Amino acid sequence: MLNFLVSWLADVPDSAAAYALAALGLIISERAGVLNLTAEGLMLVGAMSGIGAALTFGGQPELALLVAMVAAAVISLLFAMMVVVLRVNQVISGLAIVFFCQGLTNLVGNLAGWQNKPVVGLLHVHIPWLSDLPVVGRILFSQNLVIYLTIPIFILVSYALRNSMAGLRLRAVGENPEAADAAGISVATTRFLAIAGGSALIGLAGGLLAVGGVKVWVADITGGRGWIAVALVIFARWQPWRALAGALLFGCIESLIPRIAAAGIQAPQYFMLMLPYIITLAVMVWSSLSKRATSEEPGALGRAFVREERR
Amino acid sequence: MPELRTPESATVPLEATLAAPRQRRFKLGRLVLSIREHPSTWRQAAAIGIAVLVGLALSCITLMLAGVPADEIADEFIVQTFFDPDNFRAVLAQAAPLVLVGVGAALAFRVNFWNLGLGGQMIFGATFATAVSFYHIGPEATRLPLMLLAACLGGMMWMLIPALLNIRLQINEIISTLLMNYIAQYFLLYLVYGPWIDTKDNFPHSPPYLAAERLPDVLLGINGALPLAALVGIAAWWLVSRTRLGIYMRFVQANPRMAFATGVPLVATTLTAILISALCAGLAGFVVAAGQEGRLTQSVSNGYGVSGVLIAFMARNNPVAALLVAFLVAALFVTSQSLQVFHQIPFAMVQLIQAIIVICVAASEFAIRHRLRLIR
Repeated sequence: MLNFLVSWLADVPDSAAAYALAALGLIISERAGVLNLTAEGLMLVGAMSGIGAALTFGGQPELALLVAMVAAAVISLLFAMMVVVLRVNQVISGLAIVFFCQGLTNLVGNLAGWQNKPVVGLLHVHIPWLSDLPVVGRILFSQNLVIYLTIPIFILVSYALRNSMAGLRLRAVGENPEAADAAGISVATTRFLAIAGGSALIGLAGGLLAVGGVKVWVADITGGRGWIAVALVIFARWQPWRALAGALLFGCIESLIPRIAAAGIQAPQYFMLMLPYIITLAVMVWSSLSKRATSEEPGALGRAFVREERR
Repeated sequence: MPELRTPESATVPLEATLAAPRQRRFKLGRLVLSIREHPSTWRQAAAIGIAVLVGLALSCITLMLAGVPADEIADEFIVQTFFDPDNFRAVLAQAAPLVLVGVGAALAFRVNFWNLGLGGQMIFGATFATAVSFYHIGPEATRLPLMLLAACLGGMMWMLIPALLNIRLQINEIISTLLMNYIAQYFLLYLVYGPWIDTKDNFPHSPPYLAAERLPDVLLGINGALPLAALVGIAAWWLVSRTRLGIYMRFVQANPRMAFATGVPLVATTLTAILISALCAGLAGFVVAAGQEGRLTQSVSNGYGVSGVLIAFMARNNPVAALLVAFLVAALFVTSQSLQVFHQIPFAMVQLIQAIIVICVAASEFAIRHRLRLIR
């Protein structure tokens, strides 16, 4: 029993970190007022380019993750261009980008022959004394580098959103772009940077999934995790720490599924695989039922800003 | 305040900062954006036409980068697809499910409901239809109509969950319908790998339908799928433009609150529209199973969900335009099959080309809605 628990919990951070980073990236761009549905697509881009970089440049998972971040940020500029400059409907733009990324990654990955080629990937660190501790050693002190970086990233982003000048500006643009514009903040620049920065984190999440987790690329590797991250942001009411808690919940569920079969418990496989999606729906129902009086949704979420249309 | 600022340093930088932007503005002029309230029809058509051309050009470049020789692209896309009788028949067969998902998506979008669950609804349409065949329900003569009805029911049933979640609890339908697709796909895999597996060859698909359970040929090797789809498309056009429900839907799309305030049955209109939308998707599943495969396969909804959304968007949610767009997308599907065979281009290319064209058309919206002027 203890063995089961330890090996289960030791796998949780691997799955949870991807959800957490993707949700955080979404929060950054949605706090700036851009409804971002691109997560599924950008995670695919991160995953494919991460594995591609690992295969091409040999080893070096850190470089692969960097490539994943840059690739996702570059593709997100197309989305930013559509919603910020051209003011296209943000739902349509987001969906179009997801479809674009699905087509692009499947095509490029297939033509380059990256399918099903294992890479060394990101290894778990070994901290001299701490990793050898009986139970907590495996759960807490032998994860990979990105998982340890996730916590400082969360502290940084949540502090910056709350207290820094840039964070205040970003939120001002998301709450009321007209007022922000009048105060001399460039709405377009802020949104561009928020989308690119957030998307780099989403790309990192995708890269982590491929380079840190399964260490191989297959078509549609994310399997809807990007959409779950979008749901997670709504559930977290655009608060970073609540998103991290939600990500841990989904990490627990996801790493439990393969263990149940491995532990010899008879459960229908395909119904187990449905669980993350069913639980996402359940979580959305629950958070909708316990809705507070005040909505914490950014005021201008999903609304394009046209200065000449000032109200 | 002498200790804060000396007269020299106060005047010089102040003048410089004021003068610099003024001068630059004078030289370059300033781009001013304004909203075009009533774009003319020809402007819309021209903008979309140019956007489609740009999208096609970008797609050609992508194809060339992927290794298709430039001179063969036109041959594959136009000559082989439209002038070869077999391929043209394949296009018409392929168009049927695409018309149905396109019309389905358009009807839901017309009441501001983002039905992205077309794939899942197709799966349940096909599953319900297959259930009729698998359990031999009713005499053989009525089997096919019964399967058609079951497919409608299956699609609508799968929509009922996100619809009620959205109407009762305001749960975002984009995410709920998408998640339902994954659940439906796993349910389908459970069926075709489990209880419904074909015991003759042990492949993961259902046993083949009987001859009476397949859509019969109506004309020159074209089966009943296309007439059915065209009928649904025309009925949808009649629904949105000639009936009370259609007028209500227009109200709801324009402004739900105003619609409610003026006495339009908001919930009933929305629910009816999205259930009909799901019905169309269920029919698409039936058409693929009974018209193309002749059994339930695990790839019954592959690529259709996405295409439905894109067709509706390109057709501006107009059911008749959806017929035309679906026909073009079907040509793309058929062309991709020969690209797959002769140039080893994966099916993903279809999705990429569709996405590129949609991005271009979406971007053309800017030219329709806005007016850019240079002011000197």
